[in-house]
Amino acid sequence: MSQFSRLVRIARTDFSYFFRTKWLMAVLISLSLSDMLVVGLVYTRLIPASTAIGSSYFQFLVPGIVVVGLFSAATDTGRRIWLALREGVIQYYLTLPIRTRGLVGAYIISGGLGGIVYSGALLIIAYLSLILFKAPIPIQGILYALILIPFLFVLSTGIAGLAAFFASVSRRGEMYWVYAQALQVSMVTISTVFYPAQTIAQYLPAPIATIAEYNPLSLAAGVLRNSAFGGNALETSALASLLATSLPLATIGALAYWIILRTIRLKGKP
Amino acid sequence: MFAVETLNLAKRYGKTDALRGLNFTVNEGEIMVILGPNGSGKTTLLMILCTILKPTSGTAKVVGIDVVEEGTKVREVMGIAFQEARGFWRHKPSSILRFHASMFDIDPAKRQDLIERTMKDLELWESRDKMFMHLSGGQAKRLETAKVLIQQPKLAIFDEPTSQVDLRGKRKIWDKIRELRDQGSTIIVATNEVREAEYLADRVTILHEGNRVVCDTIPKLKDAIAGGDIVEVDFEDPVPEKLVQDLNGLGGEVSLLPESNQLRAKVSKAEDWVPRMTSASYVAGAKIASIRITEPSLDDVFLHFTGKALADQP
Ligand SMILES: Nc1ncnc2c1ncn2[C@@H]1O[C@H](COP(=O)(O)OP(=O)(O)OP(=O)(O)O)[C@@H](O)[C@H]1O
Ligand SMILES: [Mg+2]
Repeated sequence: MSQFSRLVRIARTDFSYFFRTKWLMAVLISLSLSDMLVVGLVYTRLIPASTAIGSSYFQFLVPGIVVVGLFSAATDTGRRIWLALREGVIQYYLTLPIRTRGLVGAYIISGGLGGIVYSGALLIIAYLSLILFKAPIPIQGILYALILIPFLFVLSTGIAGLAAFFASVSRRGEMYWVYAQALQVSMVTISTVFYPAQTIAQYLPAPIATIAEYNPLSLAAGVLRNSAFGGNALETSALASLLATSLPLATIGALAYWIILRTIRLKGKP
Repeated sequence: MFAVETLNLAKRYGKTDALRGLNFTVNEGEIMVILGPNGSGKTTLLMILCTILKPTSGTAKVVGIDVVEEGTKVREVMGIAFQEARGFWRHKPSSILRFHASMFDIDPAKRQDLIERTMKDLELWESRDKMFMHLSGGQAKRLETAKVLIQQPKLAIFDEPTSQVDLRGKRKIWDKIRELRDQGSTIIVATNEVREAEYLADRVTILHEGNRVVCDTIPKLKDAIAGGDIVEVDFEDPVPEKLVQDLNGLGGEVSLLPESNQLRAKVSKAEDWVPRMTSASYVAGAKIASIRITEPSLDDVFLHFTGKALADQP
């Protein structure tokens, strides 16, 4: 078996832990669906259509939910690293004939896969529910969604990287769950996932509005709204910003995971 | 070439010196047992050999490959069963073994058969539908052993393979480890159980406070202790100090065990010493309750070389 196929095998095994945890799946799916359907429908009645959100809040929100799904699935990497440290599985990995950078790569890839597979499923559900509610979906939008997959994958690896970073800072402590919550709240709240940029700029200080604008979650939600659901041509500048914000995060994560492995090698424990 | 060779190997964790300049070799195709009490550095040594831990100083080579310089190559030829079982917590035993087999390129055609046979041999078959996290301590340890058995690595390392395992299981595991050696693997077993060492060892290395105290075959280690036989005598009442002195004059080494009415003597020939001892006791008025004559055990060897008993280490 080559180094690469070992990497894939490890990534696959780790990735499978995203689905093996049945309660986690149940919670994630019910949250995503209730967000999409219940909240979307109720809020749509509450919030009149405006130029900022397009035709209806439902259509504004659905791409956002897809991105939140991607976020939740990718941050599960942190939980898995945390558990693998606790259960000593990482020490087991360290005895396998694979290079350290292969192990790091495997974790980043499996984080990327989690985000893309889960958000892909949500995207399909989103299309179906739009059809159900008789909202128009441009055919070329589906094509754009397919082109977007690699970009969303990179975004997932970035989010997974952030989660890996927090898992590495909290090591074996319970602090990880606090960090994960804080990450979730700050990244999703300070973004244009649930509300348009104009609204943020109107009510919140300028620095926050800027953060929200360059938050990779906002960028991804924007691209999905504009192209995958709006049918407008993909903008290279938006895609470039998405890569430019995600790749550093993935690098931080890789570095954090690598440092965990190095610490185990030196101290015998994380 | 040695299967394993370490030179001045040292590992320090913070202020703890776990290994202090260890020189240690293992020949190809032998079972080397590392015997040492808790905290003597057994696991630390094995972790360095399997490349998880980096030594603080010194070198270690596995089949001639340096564990620090070429870790990946070392990992291709060695397998370790950890002291504390580690596994994918939501996997079933057979898929843990399948994962392991694929990592080490076990022929896919033979894989399933090998896994099933090994699980049956180690009495894991009944637990095949349980997730790893639901296995009992002993079952998880058996699975650790199974991983290395199906892998058949050039160097197989077992860290206390039978702790938590019941007596029947211990026998099975020991037999499988010997079988693995007979198929050509070199084996290192770390343990603090004398019985395990006696059953398995081609050679024994006694490790004490991070250093090798002695290394040899069991018969040679036993011969190295003064005298060939050990006589244990139980008296009905506390033994008078005078009698101990008298007995020491009869040749051999006599010691009074603390808080008991028991004497222990290392003597060259029990059949000569015992009649003299009984008459001396009769003269001193000490009544003998029982006499036991034994060969020295590894416990005695340990005691001899370290000045401490293996059994009652803190
Ligand atoms: N990760 C660690 N951090 C700090 N100290 C450690 C660590 N691991 C081991 N030690 C210390 O190093 C010494 C040797 O430990 P080691 O685990 O190698 O002993 P051992 O012979 O395997 O013991 P046991 O029979 O209990 O398994 C001990 O004093 C232990 O406390
Ligand atoms: Mg140990």
